[in-house]
Amino acid sequence: MKEKALILNDIDIDRILKRISHEIIEQNKGSNNLVFIGIQKRGIPLAGRIAKNISELENIKLEVGKLDITFYRDDLLKRVKPKVEITDIPFNIDDKDVVLVDDVLFTGRTIRASLDALIDMGRPKTIQLVVLIDRGHRELPIKADYVGKNIPTSLNEFIEVNLAEIDGKDSVKICEKD
Amino acid sequence: MIDNKKINAGKLSGINNILIKSVNIIDPVEEKEYRSDILIENGIIKTVGTDLKTGSSVDFEEFSEGSRIKFANDLILFDASGYHASPGFFDMHVHLREPGDEDEEDLESGTSAALRGGITSVACMPNTNPPLDRDFLIKDIKNRALMYGFNVYPVAAATKGLEGIEMTEMGILKDSGAAAFSDDGKCIQNAKLMYEIMKYSKIFEMPLILHEEEYSFSSSGMVHDGYYSAVLGLDGIPSLAEEIIVARDIMLAEKTGAQIHITHVSSKGSVELIKKAKEEGVNITCDVTPHHLYFDDSCLKDYNTNFKVNPPLRSSKDRQAIIESVKAGVIDAIASDHAPHLETEKNIPFSEAANGVIGMETLFKAAYTLLCKKGSLSAVKLIKLLTKSPSKILNINTGKISPDSMADFVILDLERESVIRKQDFFSRSSNSAFIGEKLAGETVLTVCNGKIGFINNNVNLEKETGKF
Amino acid sequence: MLGVKNIIDIDDLSSEDIKLIMENADSFAEVLERDLKKVPTLRGKTLVNLFFEPSTRTRTSFEIAAKRLSADMINFSASTSSLKKGETIIDTVNTIQSMVVDLLIIRHSDSGVLNFISRNINTPVINAGDGKHQHPTQALLDLYTIKKSFKSFKDLKVALVGDIANSRVARSNARLFKRMGMNVSLVSAPMMLPEDMSYFGADIFYCIDDVIKEVDILYMLRMQFERQQRKYYPSIKEYNRFLSLNTDRFGMMKKGSIVMHPGPVNRGIEISETVMNLETEMPARIKINNQVNNGVAVRMALIYLILISRQENI
Repeated sequence: MKEKALILNDIDIDRILKRISHEIIEQNKGSNNLVFIGIQKRGIPLAGRIAKNISELENIKLEVGKLDITFYRDDLLKRVKPKVEITDIPFNIDDKDVVLVDDVLFTGRTIRASLDALIDMGRPKTIQLVVLIDRGHRELPIKADYVGKNIPTSLNEFIEVNLAEIDGKDSVKICEKD
Repeated sequence: MIDNKKINAGKLSGINNILIKSVNIIDPVEEKEYRSDILIENGIIKTVGTDLKTGSSVDFEEFSEGSRIKFANDLILFDASGYHASPGFFDMHVHLREPGDEDEEDLESGTSAALRGGITSVACMPNTNPPLDRDFLIKDIKNRALMYGFNVYPVAAATKGLEGIEMTEMGILKDSGAAAFSDDGKCIQNAKLMYEIMKYSKIFEMPLILHEEEYSFSSSGMVHDGYYSAVLGLDGIPSLAEEIIVARDIMLAEKTGAQIHITHVSSKGSVELIKKAKEEGVNITCDVTPHHLYFDDSCLKDYNTNFKVNPPLRSSKDRQAIIESVKAGVIDAIASDHAPHLETEKNIPFSEAANGVIGMETLFKAAYTLLCKKGSLSAVKLIKLLTKSPSKILNINTGKISPDSMADFVILDLERESVIRKQDFFSRSSNSAFIGEKLAGETVLTVCNGKIGFINNNVNLEKETGKF
Repeated sequence: MLGVKNIIDIDDLSSEDIKLIMENADSFAEVLERDLKKVPTLRGKTLVNLFFEPSTRTRTSFEIAAKRLSADMINFSASTSSLKKGETIIDTVNTIQSMVVDLLIIRHSDSGVLNFISRNINTPVINAGDGKHQHPTQALLDLYTIKKSFKSFKDLKVALVGDIANSRVARSNARLFKRMGMNVSLVSAPMMLPEDMSYFGADIFYCIDDVIKEVDILYMLRMQFERQQRKYYPSIKEYNRFLSLNTDRFGMMKKGSIVMHPGPVNRGIEISETVMNLETEMPARIKINNQVNNGVAVRMALIYLILISRQENI
């Protein structure tokens, strides 16, 4: 694979997340019914950072959970097998405003699976979607409520997101497959 | 308590301080003979040495006129010059008939018969009624024997009910005090079961005492399958009946490493198999009975039921082979297979009579007369076959004549001969093969667990030498 | 993904396979803690429980596992089938296979039947216990239970107690535990040990007291006194004396050690009534119910991994 361009550096990402944090507070007229759920893998640190931002701004403690959607995928029996990571949602999501966080929105199937998982776990009041990058090519009618950056891509390209908590550094790059 | 009527110890029973002068001690451990005095205090041997004195100056009373025994309140003096002393004998194959057949023998009569024969310890077989296949039965025998001041080492059954189908609770039986396992009286026909029993007994380091008899060969027989069975018109039990199982069990023992002991060996073929197995390192020992040493099947010509035994008395060739094996050291012990039976079981036609003869009271005498007096075996070697060797087989510490040991020994008059008479037996039964035989090696005095258990009233205990 | 198509013998699984199964079991254990204990992962897949030997626990465990994965499960017991009419095993299996199933879970009272069936059909099979041979899913759920109780497998002392010769659990477990770096001992009587013990590579003891103070894991095997109409072990009393877990012995076990049993327990034989009753108060020490719970998660992981690995190969 070949790196084509650096889209966002660590400062850019930080600013984006701060902006999104403010948007969430604005849209929800406060934060007291919010819970955050990050989608494995990189949605989790993102959810953590946003929750922390809002926590500090609103002086409120916020719950953050982790969701692995492998068991809800519709393409399990067809493509390369992903490793199952942990699901850890140690709080009740009934009647909560769930803020679902992922790094890249692409076909929308991951989000579809996440919605199925969340519905199996309880009955949230609302589910709102945060993505860092929207790269287009939706195959299902899925839309993010909060987008960090729209990056149109072709199908032989992919977005590489690095986050300090997992990869040691923050960056978003476009890469090309071989 | 010991029946004073029989031993006539009377005034002497209860006195635990004894000084024995000038006796020839036969030591089976060091394998030597030496003259010595023995001083016993409170039932424990205090000193073994020469010129021992009592330190007492009390007036002594004679036990009977001209007797070798003098006594005072708490001390007995015994002039034993010309006599021999041996550790108490250990008869490792005895049927005490308790529980169940107490009219044939019981612990009381059995112990007094044993003591008369100079025997202070026995291993008793489990074919009682009920058989000794449960822990509480073993404990019961052991405890009750203690009441008689006697040492009984119960052998537990190897299979439940002696039926040869399921093994007994061998671990629990060992815990309760069993000295070994055996189905004696019967023989386990199922080779796989025998194999499992050997494997299991090995982990408990318990010996197996094996009565070897292949039933398909022996089922209808009563005498040895030789010349005399044809003469007498009685079905014979061939030597093969024993030899096949001996061979089988040797193979199984070799594979499992179990400790096996073949009891009452009767045939030439068996001793040859055992000899070879020993040379190859199999953990095997064996014993013979005095009657198999003394008699062969020619005795049966009068259909005397006191010669009807299992295994049968075999040919003179077999008998000679057994005698030679004793001398050659292939046989490890001599044991009586004391098997009391009622008159109603023996004093009947041969084909209806039960198998078995009593033997504790003639154990030493018969073996001594045949092997030592008329033969070339030394007394020391014979004593070893009746003491150290059987004890070693059953991992038991029996008596020694040495300081700080419990007094447990027999005084013997090797020269004196007597004719064995039916009415003299202390055993409740009198089915003996030796009735009418003149045997040497009389028991003079038996001390068991520190107490006098037997005094021979028929011996004229004249004082022969010196003063005290 | 899983390196094998079938799970018949525990030694067929590589260390990577085992690691994968353990990790996925964790994820399924989490699913089992939710209110809605179900994921849609294997919707549309059909599994068959083919049990020639009766079993309630194992069969139910597989059935629950299948249903939690949204798969369809069909139960086939030998007694209710045409086997009684003389249909051979192969015919039975072919009939089932022609109905298009994705996975067969098989238990039989003879060793080697799984190998026979797997040679003759295309569908993947999981061994739910074949005679005295193997019970790999039990070994895996036991391993998982141990994993949750200790920091690492290395040098853990485990003793398997009871009828080793006749136990498929002993075979699978001894091999797996040894492979994972544990120190395996066997406590038994000579009548219940195979002639040649080299397959097990374990130290042998004849009394549970010989190991009770040092073990980290005491694994009690189920005892059956009669086989082929023959009693080959003297009595329950003898078993209690040398091979049973009672209150005194439990008290001698070291801190942090655990007791396991594949179930169902013969109370008063392998484990005393009193010790069994302690499980509710001491779930950290007595893991028998925990094993059962883990059984569903581990079997979910196995079924999931076999089926998704299989698809990749098409």
